Amino acid sequence: MTTDEATKSEGEVQAAALAERGEDITPSKDRGVLKIIKRPGSEDEFPMIGDKVYVHYKGKLANGKKFDSSRNRNEPFIFSLGKGQVIKAWDIGVATMKKGEICYLLCKPEYAYGSAGSAPKIPSNATLFFEASNAGELLLDFKGEDLFEDGGIIRRIKRKGEGYSNPNEGATVEIHLEGFCGGRRFDCKDVKFVVGEGEDHDIPIGIDKALEKMQRGEHCILYLSPRYGFGEAGKPKYGIQGNAELVYEVTLKSFEKAKESWEMDTKEKLEQAAVVKEKGTMYFKEGKYLQAVIQYGKIVSWLEMEYGLSEKESKASDSFLLAAFLNLAMCYLKLREYAKAVECCDKALGLDQDNEKGLYRRGEARLLMNEFELAKCDFQKVLEVNPQNKAAKSQISVCQKKTKEHNERDRRIYANMFTKFAERDAKEAASKTGVEKTAEKAACEKRPKTGAEGEEAEGHV
Amino acid sequence: MAVDELQAIIQRCQILEEADFKGEDFNLFQVAGQKCLEDGYAAQLLEVIQNEKNKVIIKNMGWNLISPLVRCIFMYKQEDDKREHCLRILEQLAQLCNPKELFLGLLEQIEQTSGEQVCQTVMLLLQPLQTVLLKLQNKKAYSVGLSLAMIMNQLTPLPVPYTKQQIQEDKLGLCQCCNAVVDFAKPFVNEVVKNMEKSSEYNDMELKEELIKFCMKSLQYPLLTAQLEQLEGIEEHPFRHFANEITDILWNIGELIPLVFVHRKGKSPHWENQEFADIERKNSADSLACLSYLMFVQHFGVEHFPVVFSPSYLLLCNMTHIEVLLKRTEESVLSKGLDLFESCLLRMEDNSLLHHYLEFRDFINVPQDLVKIMTLCPMEHMRKKSLSILQLFIDKFDTEGKYALFRCLLKTSNHAGVEGYIIKNIKDQIHLALTEYDNIWFTGHHLISLLDLVLSLPEGAETDLLQNSDRIMASLNLLRYLIIKDCESDNQTGVWTTLGKIEQNFLKPLRVGLNMSKAHYEAEIKNKKENRKEAHSSNTVCSVTVSGEKMPAMTTGMQLQVLHSALFTFDLIESVLARVEELIEVKTKAVMDENS
Repeated sequence: MTTDEATKSEGEVQAAALAERGEDITPSKDRGVLKIIKRPGSEDEFPMIGDKVYVHYKGKLANGKKFDSSRNRNEPFIFSLGKGQVIKAWDIGVATMKKGEICYLLCKPEYAYGSAGSAPKIPSNATLFFEASNAGELLLDFKGEDLFEDGGIIRRIKRKGEGYSNPNEGATVEIHLEGFCGGRRFDCKDVKFVVGEGEDHDIPIGIDKALEKMQRGEHCILYLSPRYGFGEAGKPKYGIQGNAELVYEVTLKSFEKAKESWEMDTKEKLEQAAVVKEKGTMYFKEGKYLQAVIQYGKIVSWLEMEYGLSEKESKASDSFLLAAFLNLAMCYLKLREYAKAVECCDKALGLDQDNEKGLYRRGEARLLMNEFELAKCDFQKVLEVNPQNKAAKSQISVCQKKTKEHNERDRRIYANMFTKFAERDAKEAASKTGVEKTAEKAACEKRPKTGAEGEEAEGHV
Repeated sequence: MAVDELQAIIQRCQILEEADFKGEDFNLFQVAGQKCLEDGYAAQLLEVIQNEKNKVIIKNMGWNLISPLVRCIFMYKQEDDKREHCLRILEQLAQLCNPKELFLGLLEQIEQTSGEQVCQTVMLLLQPLQTVLLKLQNKKAYSVGLSLAMIMNQLTPLPVPYTKQQIQEDKLGLCQCCNAVVDFAKPFVNEVVKNMEKSSEYNDMELKEELIKFCMKSLQYPLLTAQLEQLEGIEEHPFRHFANEITDILWNIGELIPLVFVHRKGKSPHWENQEFADIERKNSADSLACLSYLMFVQHFGVEHFPVVFSPSYLLLCNMTHIEVLLKRTEESVLSKGLDLFESCLLRMEDNSLLHHYLEFRDFINVPQDLVKIMTLCPMEHMRKKSLSILQLFIDKFDTEGKYALFRCLLKTSNHAGVEGYIIKNIKDQIHLALTEYDNIWFTGHHLISLLDLVLSLPEGAETDLLQNSDRIMASLNLLRYLIIKDCESDNQTGVWTTLGKIEQNFLKPLRVGLNMSKAHYEAEIKNKKENRKEAHSSNTVCSVTVSGEKMPAMTTGMQLQVLHSALFTFDLIESVLARVEELIEVKTKAVMDENS
């Protein structure tokens, strides 16, 4: 007997064994999906709905013909569990598997491709058998859903919500939440609030962000990194230290969507702009920059592309936008997102090219990005607008000093290099390490003395 | 004479070192070489080039001859010896010349060609270009990318053969050329594959990116507009072959599956300029739609595709592509969209698509696009096909989904024919609901709110009955069905409860409208007849132009015919209306008799 024949008949035996001894894992107990565990999982944990699961598998038809194998693609098959992405047999079957488990599944057509089949490989009314490949069959690994692909918020769904619509920013939500830190429950409440303003109820920004991906009735566990939690400052009220990882259990009971920009007329937008500006400024003063960004961002999304305004409206709109961009720039400086800060300053200066704060903040951001020459230009322009600005004067000398230091450093580094390639690499390495930190530190030290920034995230209008 | 001049400059340069060649020497060499070619001394030139002693000279100066060489090759007939010599020269140059300069020389030739010569030129130069690229040391990936982009750009303005005859004829050589370009790309694909097996280095990524760009471009042109169905009598369909090669390349470099599931990996190049970014997005949307079509309809590369996805999810993933394709008007693209949509729907069981999917915007937009095609597309087979696909789409939804879809289509279609069709579908669903027990959407209060929409006249008695006749007839038929099928005592559908409203919003204004319209048209007929007696001469009120051609004016006889057919339509509506009223009366009376 050749090896091919051997595996084939082995497959048939397994299929027969499944039909005979397999456990019926369908909720309605109609023997639509039968399962035999070949090797129990290594960990005692099941995947949850929405989890990203990794499966290696090989699929065969009843006649033993192989129709698919993840090994042919050299990578495990990845999907989100319980969301209808795969045939029913899989959503049911994989949910019963533990990490590292290996099993066989026999799937009736009603739980696979039914009478329609799946051209060109699966004929009508086919029973499918998922089974062993060389390195194990239906080998499972999984992890929670990484909501923003940055590892900051991991979600695991305990109960699926209904439908496909989510709350948007500004939507009013009613939720039940429980917060845990290091196994200790620090918060438990039912609360109604506006997405983006959870902070008012001592709810960290990560919950606001996650809610935008949840559906009505969903019950999930959220793992928040400190950035999406209470950050460096922690939350003394709950006895939470800085940089703490948090776990929340959240149920989205109901929500009402906020109006999208296109659903509002100009008058409404201008009225609301005043309201959110207030809110943004309040957050800013409390040092809650992420929340402030959301509020100022609303002004931009409402008014930046608004056309056909009357002269009066246009004036009001411009002044809201100017204030929003300037304040956003300030927030981004605080959040150390300098490129975004520069972008906001550019937009502010697009509205008012001689704006002193705009120029100054762009200079600051550029200085922190090691663009000394550009930064110097900005500070010089500040002085052209307002010769009395002492802060700008001292920043110029910082720029000059930095430029000089930087050049010297370069010279030293290049001294022993020969090829151009190596030079470039070294420059990159240099700018990434020492220089950045010193520049940042120097700029931070300067900050308290300079009068032209800081507290005036408030009223421009 | 020309040969002598060439010999002279060659002899002068033979004794020089490579570094001592001057600009003047280059010029003299080019002029003399060109003259040799023009005067028919290709054989002699070939000899000079093959001479081992001249190796250094040719290495440095040879690329100058590309332009006159290409010109000469096109001048000579196919069987001319001189042409053969020229081709040998080209071959030699590819071997001997400095690759960097020759590369630019060849590219320049491709850039300069246009019109009917494009394919010929490209096919002539592909081989030397490949030789040179394989020899290139630096910036190889960039150069391969540049070559492929340049070639595809030059081909793009050419019309893509569409009918069987056009494909067989391949007048401009496009079919042949495309497949030659794939062969040209193959060694580079192999290189990427080999390197992938070893390890992934930064440099390989570059070559891979260039090949992806080439494939994406090919998907958009020529494949998106090409005919890709199997054609009888053509064994090796050139575009099917090309499509197969392109999907193969993508699979081999490990990008096929990620591209088909592109929404999972949202990677797109960053453009400073918003305009470029938009163009890029649009182009890649076209290419990806075409790729999906190749895979799911024509089954190219489908053997690599995981067979565990649910049909609903496949439909969801393809909906974006379908929308992109259905927005276009070219038959070639539109039909791909319809085919892709159909193939996704055929994978599903009836009633299996959950109504939740309607929360995705595509699921609402795409049926509206279908409606546009079936009402506005000038090609009849497209209109018919889109109607049959709409029915298929309706069939796949669960009851609540069907209900929501009907509502949406009634509100958005703005076309009496389509509305009539939807109303007929509603009738079928009610019929089903009356035989099942748990159907809450086509009985009771949900149905009543749908009937409000159906059993009404958009502009009351003033509604244009002729324009809306399809819709009105369907509505009346539905009402007749309800009254016959559902007794007042059962009132399963709820129609008896809402009869007063129907009378007020629909039947009464319809009666008034019918009387007004009939009177109006009868008067018009009378008018026309009298006019005919009075003045036979044509006094046309206005003229109609269809695609630039003036239609002949309607004769009075034709006008009368139209008016009569309108009257006939009104009669038809009136007879059904009368029947409905009669039924209502009989049934209500029967109930009253019972009660009394």
